[in-house]
Amino acid sequence: MRDDIERLLDRLVHASVVERVVISVAALFAAILVGGVLVFVSGGFASCRAGLDLAGATFCYNPMQVYYELFLGSLGHPLGGDWTPMNYSLATTLRQTTLLIFAGLSVAVAFRAGLFNIGTQGQLIVGGMLTAVTVLFAASYVPGGFVGTALLVPIGVLAGAVGGGFYGAIPGALKAYANANEVITTIMLNFIAIGVTSTLLSWRFQDPDSANPQTRPVPEYAEIPNLPFVGFSGRMDFSLLALGFAIALMIAVAWLLARTSFGYELRTSGTQPEAAAYGGVDEKRMTVASMTLSGALGGVAGAFWVLMQHGYWLENVPPLGFDGIAVSILAGNNPLGVGFAALLFGILSSGANSINTATDVPPELVGILSGLIILFVAMPEFFRMIGRRYVDVGDPAPVRADGGEADD
Amino acid sequence: MSDPGTATERGGRPNAELAVHLDGITKRFPGVVANDDVDLRVERGSVHALLGENGAGKTTLMNVLYGLYEPTEGRVVVDGEERSFDRPRDAIDAGVGMIHQHFMLVDTMTVAENIALGSEPRKWWGLAVDHDRIDREIEDLCDRYGFSVDPSATVDELSVGAQQRVEILKALYRGADVLILDEPTAVLTPQEVEDLYGVLEELTDQGKTIIFITHKLGEAMHAADAITALRDGKSVGTVEPDETTREELAELMVGREVLLEADSEPVDAGRPILSASGLTVEGNRGVELVSDIDIEVHAGEIFGIAGVDGNGQSELIDAITGLRTPDEGTVHFDGENVTSWSRRRRIDAGMAHVPEDRHEQGLVMPFDLVENAVLGSQRSARFATNGRIDWDGVRDHAEDVIQTYDVRPPDADADAESFSGGNQQKFIVGRELERDPELVVATHPTRGVDIGSTEFIHDRLLELRREGKAVLLVSSKLDEVQALSDRLAVIYEGEFVDVTDPDAVTEEELGLLMAGERPDETDARGRESTVDVDKPADGGER
Repeated sequence: MRDDIERLLDRLVHASVVERVVISVAALFAAILVGGVLVFVSGGFASCRAGLDLAGATFCYNPMQVYYELFLGSLGHPLGGDWTPMNYSLATTLRQTTLLIFAGLSVAVAFRAGLFNIGTQGQLIVGGMLTAVTVLFAASYVPGGFVGTALLVPIGVLAGAVGGGFYGAIPGALKAYANANEVITTIMLNFIAIGVTSTLLSWRFQDPDSANPQTRPVPEYAEIPNLPFVGFSGRMDFSLLALGFAIALMIAVAWLLARTSFGYELRTSGTQPEAAAYGGVDEKRMTVASMTLSGALGGVAGAFWVLMQHGYWLENVPPLGFDGIAVSILAGNNPLGVGFAALLFGILSSGANSINTATDVPPELVGILSGLIILFVAMPEFFRMIGRRYVDVGDPAPVRADGGEADD
Repeated sequence: MSDPGTATERGGRPNAELAVHLDGITKRFPGVVANDDVDLRVERGSVHALLGENGAGKTTLMNVLYGLYEPTEGRVVVDGEERSFDRPRDAIDAGVGMIHQHFMLVDTMTVAENIALGSEPRKWWGLAVDHDRIDREIEDLCDRYGFSVDPSATVDELSVGAQQRVEILKALYRGADVLILDEPTAVLTPQEVEDLYGVLEELTDQGKTIIFITHKLGEAMHAADAITALRDGKSVGTVEPDETTREELAELMVGREVLLEADSEPVDAGRPILSASGLTVEGNRGVELVSDIDIEVHAGEIFGIAGVDGNGQSELIDAITGLRTPDEGTVHFDGENVTSWSRRRRIDAGMAHVPEDRHEQGLVMPFDLVENAVLGSQRSARFATNGRIDWDGVRDHAEDVIQTYDVRPPDADADAESFSGGNQQKFIVGRELERDPELVVATHPTRGVDIGSTEFIHDRLLELRREGKAVLLVSSKLDEVQALSDRLAVIYEGEFVDVTDPDAVTEEELGLLMAGERPDETDARGRESTVDVDKPADGGER
């Protein structure tokens, strides 16, 4: 039994890229199967007017329909009639994907530096507010129209990055110079972010025309513009330009980590701090720098949340920063993997909306289905992580077949 | 095997007298043959050395015997019975025990707890561990084999030599008749090595059989009754020590003639490259780990530091290389005061450093060798422009180092952790020595490295010295520091007890100096080796 487990872990650790993709797809199907059974059986305990009568019981939910809504619903039902690619459901999916790419990158960068940044949420809140406030302030100094867009959008995104970066630098500095655990400080700073922004809002920035706690809306030309001709309509709160920017940023972060001196030092610090110190990396500065970068990415998520989705900052911030942690882990903290993980999360959240409107399946059960899929898809990678540690200690990998001494 | 019958023919005894017989063992890994039809006959009650370079297949062969690997072909015969071990537990049950190079001890537990761990005798229907019985049995074992170990001491209080004896006791406690020791002397001081020889003798007198893996000729010649040499996975002969010479053995092992003595003709020392004065480093609790040390290393000079590990070498080297700020004193490098310089600046100024700990410091284990080749130079002009690393250049450099320093297997894309210790070391030494440094600070540069490559590294160090570079060499191998150094300092408890001409002292005198005897006391006191476990293993903090 133990040997079998070892053998299995060993296979997982040494799986090729193709094998890993196959494993992920198989895991997805397994999750769908298990979830389908769950939905079907749950239907037996629910009451409904019409259902499938079987063995004296009535099964209310049709798993096929649930998954149809989950996956195709998130694309806006492409198999149904009069489907357009630029539909509201797909916009929701891609909007969520875009925002989660930023948040996922934020967490991934910190992870690669060996830091667990739970504060992406706080950095997003602070960055988002700074974006809204800065754009509102700057809007009175720049002309409207295209010039306004070209000036205000970059200023807004930059403001978000600066705000988030600053807010990420705080736990970085606390870690580097006071040896304070970043997990604890970032959690605390999340609460502080909520409190401080809410105070600032009521002190000065509350929109007098709104009953909701929110800032005044930025001028329409300061929102993220859509592509001409192929864009989603402005009502859908999504822009392909934003998604393009997110993908470009993803590639830039991957390039930064893999090809540059800074990225090399960041990864070395995260993998083996003592080797980094030996290689001349200033550990304290690297901690502050990587947390700043991570925070800046979280701030950019906030900026896009404000400038793409709402056009104003509001107190009720969705937990994008926390979802970013799951996205990053699912992606194995690989910047390019973040894109796929974010897309999966986008599909699940948009598809859940579809299920809720089209079926009687309760939202809690939909949440379980999403959870199952994430769990199943993440598990093989998770075991790979464990396996890598375990297999190398217990049983030398075949590469060590130079026949040399295990050590010294 | 050229002479397979040595063991049996000599005494004319039957095969049953063989404690271990490995018959035609072949072990293949994907792409590599680690053992190729190897025969090994180990006589009961003998010490059998398994000699070979890094990568010759010694450890693989022993892992086959110990049940960690399944042989591709061949038979494992223990006590005249053919066996197939699926796991170490089976081997232990058959009376085969292995003492690994890295001790598998729990530092915070007592000697007795460590020895019994995993096979504790029980009382009260299995509900409690029978500590009295453990103590009694350990006492019996110690009496029988003449060990002095305090069963109630915790392991982290013990010296390295004593920890090794605990490992041996652990194997004996589990009823081992055949003990495999993997490079047992790698971590020991010369005195501890002598003690180990005594222990081995006692064990074989009591009928135990010892197989010890080594790449050191002297040890094999000194301690073994028979030596089997492996080269490139094949057995190249079994000899008895009194029938052969070191030179013959070296040639057998390497496959070509080897110069055993490094040739260090005098060179005129130039200007001081490194000079440190009054260096003091304090540990966490204010204990002085390095006390007021002055050191001056000139261009064209190798300055050696000998000492038992944990006497302040690590902290001294850290202070010089910029990994730690000294509490007092200054460091000058090439005429400039670098005391407050960062590690980065010192590297850029031309300080190369072969670190003591290759696993934690010298290599980033999950990175491949290409990525490891740039460690330390990731911001140097040679490999980086405007913050971008020239990975093609780095790859060429990695392949050069692999080629020049004979890193095996020659695969730059393999992760550092997949290489054996000796090959990891070669790669680090290569990377550091090819940095075009002004000063090389080398700590144990040949630890775990086979003699062929050791010879090459020594030559390279001497070449750098000829080119007018300064070398600061720390080593626990006395013959190494003695042969290479122009001047030699002995460090004990954070102080230099003596700085001498290495040719003017004997190994025994050095050994005594390392044990803390002042030069003027050495003549007065006779040579007494202490087998006790009263000395802390490590004054350091790590």
